[in-house]
Amino acid sequence: MQSLSASTTAGVLLDLSGALMLLLAFACLASKLFNRYVAYYGAQSVVLAFAAGTSAVAFHSAELWILAALTLAVKGIAIPVAARRVLVRRLALKRDAAMSTGLSTSLIAGGALTAFAYLVTRPALLPHGTVAAAVVPLSTAVILLGALAMVVRRHTVAQLIGWLIVENGVFLGAITLVATFPFIVEAGIFLDIVAGVLIMIVFVSGLTRELAQASAAELRELRG
Amino acid sequence: MTTLAFLTALAPLTGLVAALAGARARVAGAAQVAGAAAALGCAVALLVTLTHHAPLQGLDGFLYADTLSGFFLLTVAAVTLLASLGSVSYIAAQADSGELSGFQVRLYYSFFSLFAALMLASLETGNLGLLFVLVEASTLASAALVGLEARARSLEAAWKYVIISSLGVTIALAGTLFVFYSASALHPASNLALTWPYLMAHASALAPQSLRLAFLLAVVGYGTKVGLAPMHTWLPDAHAEAPSPASAMLSAALLNTGMYAIIRFLALAHARLGATYPRAVLLSFGFASIVIGALFMVRRGNFKRLFAYSSVEHMGIIAVALGFGGILGLYGALLQVLNHALAKTVLFLSSGDVSLRYRTREAAGVTGLLSAVPLTGGALLLATFAVLGSPPFGVFLSELTIVRAGFARGSPVFPLLLLALLGVAFFAFARTITGMVTGPAPPPASRVQTPATEPVLVGQAAVPDGRVAAPASPLAAPGGTPAAAGARAGLVSPYRSRAAVVITAVPLVLGLLALLVLGLWIPAGLDTVLRQSAAVIG
Repeated sequence: MQSLSASTTAGVLLDLSGALMLLLAFACLASKLFNRYVAYYGAQSVVLAFAAGTSAVAFHSAELWILAALTLAVKGIAIPVAARRVLVRRLALKRDAAMSTGLSTSLIAGGALTAFAYLVTRPALLPHGTVAAAVVPLSTAVILLGALAMVVRRHTVAQLIGWLIVENGVFLGAITLVATFPFIVEAGIFLDIVAGVLIMIVFVSGLTRELAQASAAELRELRG
Repeated sequence: MTTLAFLTALAPLTGLVAALAGARARVAGAAQVAGAAAALGCAVALLVTLTHHAPLQGLDGFLYADTLSGFFLLTVAAVTLLASLGSVSYIAAQADSGELSGFQVRLYYSFFSLFAALMLASLETGNLGLLFVLVEASTLASAALVGLEARARSLEAAWKYVIISSLGVTIALAGTLFVFYSASALHPASNLALTWPYLMAHASALAPQSLRLAFLLAVVGYGTKVGLAPMHTWLPDAHAEAPSPASAMLSAALLNTGMYAIIRFLALAHARLGATYPRAVLLSFGFASIVIGALFMVRRGNFKRLFAYSSVEHMGIIAVALGFGGILGLYGALLQVLNHALAKTVLFLSSGDVSLRYRTREAAGVTGLLSAVPLTGGALLLATFAVLGSPPFGVFLSELTIVRAGFARGSPVFPLLLLALLGVAFFAFARTITGMVTGPAPPPASRVQTPATEPVLVGQAAVPDGRVAAPASPLAAPGGTPAAAGARAGLVSPYRSRAAVVITAVPLVLGLLALLVLGLWIPAGLDTVLRQSAAVIG
């Protein structure tokens, strides 16, 4: 039940979704506009919802259907809309200037991390020919790219999007690696993400009010 | 037993109920103390039951408690009670001085009780996924406490805390996935398969490759919450900016909850992979933490940051002890968990009193504590010696056990290195604290002085003797940095009544007494608990 073959239709679709999500993570890493960050994240979440739906068909699992619907509603629609309204528009965020490296450098680093993801997850860990063997390296790469975005970008909103991309990567791994993950737990994780986003939005708005510019680059008071 | 387990986790929520009902600072504080005391009572009763009975299991494996969980429940519940006692006078004083609004006070008690309840609940679940959910939720609840004062500094610390911890815990979730994947040969029925007892019983059937990866991810992920270097960077900021009783909760309860998660993964890794691999991982992270903690303690500055780095160091010591392993190492590690929790609670609570009175968190701004506030100063000094491992206190005993465990493992390099680092930490920590407790006491606060310009004003202010709770806010001093102003400002008496002063002293005295008892004599019951818990780990 666990291992779906990579050559079935569902396997191919999952593989494709994974690749698409990786590309969207790269797109996010390569852009400089806050609007785009949010848009790419939203698109990535929609693809994730599609992948969850595919996996639901393959496993005949009602719980995965609910998960797909939740992903679409919360991550695909609610969070991007809220982020755009409450953060990007109200704080008048346009161009992200707070980066610690240039775009090309971070893209090269992203490529290296993707290669690294394949290196770690391929040999001996996953059985050959399963869809997990194809998708788990992709999801690992998405996780690493999200983390890279958090390191490279110093603006709080950009870091928040980075964390959400990491979360997407973990979910992609979850639906391919262990489709029978307990549903209550998945629901709890969703709740945590929503609560996390809410509390982070409060902090970002508060910081912006205090500092006039919510750039983590300005956050230099606490050191040592 | 199930009822007891539920009561333990739910009892601290009294603070939330009181705050939602719109109670004022003192009433909400009293409710919080009552709830925390009930939780501690339930935790003790549960632990006593668990030592004589089989582990508690229920709700499809979502509820699970054995002696190890019972021991951590006891530790966290005890810290919660002490911190609640500390909150009563601290928050009331902050509310009286206008530092915190009524809304912020209610916010504090709501999130304080949620935080405590979530931590206790995460120690009672057998499901790895639910463990993640509860730990992440407790991160969010405590982030609200860190950012409570809503100044730029505290918001910055809260942001750093919530983003780094969330990322870390997400990595731990990836580790949880790989544990689940490693069990796929068992064709598990969904809910039961992700529980500790099931995995431990079927450890030999787990796939070793993915379990190795899972263990590493779990140590990195939950290690972020524990504050193991190099994932510790959120820790000093959050501890320094949170209200002092909340800092005590972070340092003495939250870090231990993370350590509990690591210990569970360790038990699993130990059962399948043997001792070598987990040992290498834990010793590396442990020694990195001790080195970082000890070196950063040398720097003088904010005394709450000093305590925070000491927490990094102690979590490193616990990780090293777990790495040494054997009955001696595990026994020492668990004893160290309890001792460090008590000592750090006393330190943070007394630092809360100090920062209320001196209106500064800089060590340079505080002198003469012993003569100015003998009880707090004495508690600070004794807790310092306790946390550094001086003989009459519990930490000495546990650190001695850990060093012995290291020597028993063969190579003397690691225990000797540990001893050397403990020495560095001792001098660094004691140097700052002795500067704070000795020396002349500052004069009682008068109106803000600007020296040499208006000496008359100071003289006038010194005349009327009956000033209680002078509303001095030296941070607003014209000119000079806040630290310098704090150093000049003198003492404030922050409490409205004698009762508040007594309540402030209660948790300090209780904590020190417990530390002293643990240093001189380990009760037979506790010894049984520690031995049984060590046997659970392997």
